[in-house]
Amino acid sequence: MEVFLNLVISGIMVGSIYALVALGWVLIYKCSGVLNLAMGELTLIGAYVCLSLYTWFVRPIGQPTLAFLLALAGTLVIGACLGLLTERFFLRRMIGEPVLSVIMVTVGLSFFFKGVVEFIWGTDTRVFTPEVFSKKPIPLMGNIYLDSVYLWSFVASIILLIVFVSFFKYTRWGLAMQATADDEMAALSLGVSAKFVYALAWAIAFMAAGVGGTLLGNVNGINISVGYLGLLVLPAVVLGGLNSVPGAIVGGIIIGVLQNLADGYLSQFTPGGVKEVAPLAFMVILLLFKPYGLWGWERIERV
Amino acid sequence: MSSKEPILQLHNIEVKYHEVILVLKGVSIQVPEGEIVALLGANGAGKSTTLKAISGLLKHEDGRVTDGAIEFMGEQIHRKDAEEIAKRGIFQIIEGRRVFEHLTLEENLRVGGHLRGNGRQLRDRLEMVYSYFPRLKEKRNLTAGFASGGEQQMCVIGRALMASPRLMLLDEPSMGLAPLLIKEIFEIIQKLNKEERIPILLVEQNVKLALTVAPYAYVMENGRIVMDGPSDVLRENPDIRDFYLGLTDLGTRKSFRSVKHYKRRKRWLT
Ligand SMILES: Nc1ncnc2c1ncn2[C@@H]1O[C@H](COP(=O)(O)OP(=O)(O)OP(=O)(O)O)[C@@H](O)[C@H]1O
Ligand SMILES: [Mg+2]
Repeated sequence: MEVFLNLVISGIMVGSIYALVALGWVLIYKCSGVLNLAMGELTLIGAYVCLSLYTWFVRPIGQPTLAFLLALAGTLVIGACLGLLTERFFLRRMIGEPVLSVIMVTVGLSFFFKGVVEFIWGTDTRVFTPEVFSKKPIPLMGNIYLDSVYLWSFVASIILLIVFVSFFKYTRWGLAMQATADDEMAALSLGVSAKFVYALAWAIAFMAAGVGGTLLGNVNGINISVGYLGLLVLPAVVLGGLNSVPGAIVGGIIIGVLQNLADGYLSQFTPGGVKEVAPLAFMVILLLFKPYGLWGWERIERV
Repeated sequence: MSSKEPILQLHNIEVKYHEVILVLKGVSIQVPEGEIVALLGANGAGKSTTLKAISGLLKHEDGRVTDGAIEFMGEQIHRKDAEEIAKRGIFQIIEGRRVFEHLTLEENLRVGGHLRGNGRQLRDRLEMVYSYFPRLKEKRNLTAGFASGGEQQMCVIGRALMASPRLMLLDEPSMGLAPLLIKEIFEIIQKLNKEERIPILLVEQNVKLALTVAPYAYVMENGRIVMDGPSDVLRENPDIRDFYLGLTDLGTRKSFRSVKHYKRRKRWLT
């Protein structure tokens, strides 16, 4: 039982990181109908940018936590800028083209970004030095312990999720994004700039993915495989129903838990890789029963 | 035409979709300041296309004004983007009650105020819209996709009203609504025009109703304006009485044209 609880709890913690990345993915899909296949590379860029900022800040500042928070803030700002630039230079010209062509552009972008990352930062695994979060486990209750890395990642993800969701729900541009997702033409007729909405979606996706990559990099170290997050996000968003923001968040957390359970209980029977396969297998099975995912939009039909 | 200064003028415009499909073949229309003008015509005549040409939404459907000019408050607008045209105060209410179905009715209205800032101003305008549409206030937290047809129509009109329009382009507000509701909505439209002094270009299939609320009307057929005049004159026009209002005895006509008219009349009266 304790093992189970331990796995579930740390699964929820990692899942919250997936949730963050999934949210970024869903925003782009909702607003512009584009499946962003470069999401993994966005997390990669974010992780490396944050690492560089951190190494840069930590010596003069001295205090690792403060330096990390600053680096994280910097990652958000740089992420937003990169998002706006990517939209402006690669995707703006694709407005009005068939969705499939746009998706192919995101494939191209993923190779491009990966190349840029390898060119700038190389391919070795890097870690945050000095360590930001101590590895000392925090006792939760009874025999259940939690690494503080996980706990802080969880806190950071939840805070960002709340910020993004509130932006979406209560601000003028957040509402404009939702409106564009619902009916682009009608939104346009009210003076909402579809171009800016797309740009905003990319900026938020970059920010969310960047922080997600950073947090995961804190847990495992940073190398090209952080980009694997991009693949994990797919089952998370499919589970949530592709265009549902709450669905993406819950989906991300479910995938995190599932992964941990598969790892804890099944890996002893297999030569390895269960952790990676389980979410995808689960996605396929779920889709057999719920083709719209758990919270997907079916069009509202009044009877 | 009335003596008032026109706020909107279409000079002989020609519109093509996808650079090849010629839909408007020289349309000239004027909307005077503060007035309602009706644009009538059969299905496919090009009424919605005319509105989209004015609001700039045409570009969104790969259409273009290929000839002529559209002038709004003395400025040429036919080459501008929808966004810029909206900033100048022209708002089109697209046919078919296009609410943002996953937002609540109030959120829909707030999106309408998108260009008009946040805070106090927005709240004041919300109250103003609610004073015209008390029903929307009652149901403000209802998801728009689940609202009734009448509520949705009120929502899209209210939404455009939130933007403090200088000109409203209203496309078939009566479509698919019960007669009582249609009456209610048209009363509100008239009230809006009187109290807020908003000029309205109204596209309507319900000719009788359109001619009561609009003092002046244009009739369109096949991408051309075939008739225009003050509503009381048009109402007495034999052709209008015949195939748009259905007031004369069709049986006495025998030409091929009348057969076509009969068909058209059936469409108009459903
Ligand atoms: N996006 C488009 N691409 C190509 N042709 C179009 C497009 N939109 C409209 N048309 C054509 O233009 C013509 C006029 O259409 P429009 O929608 O303006 O008619 P309407 O007068 O509004 O008719 P209705 O009463 O049915 O709404 C039609 O023949 C239609 O097929
Ligand atoms: Mg139409």
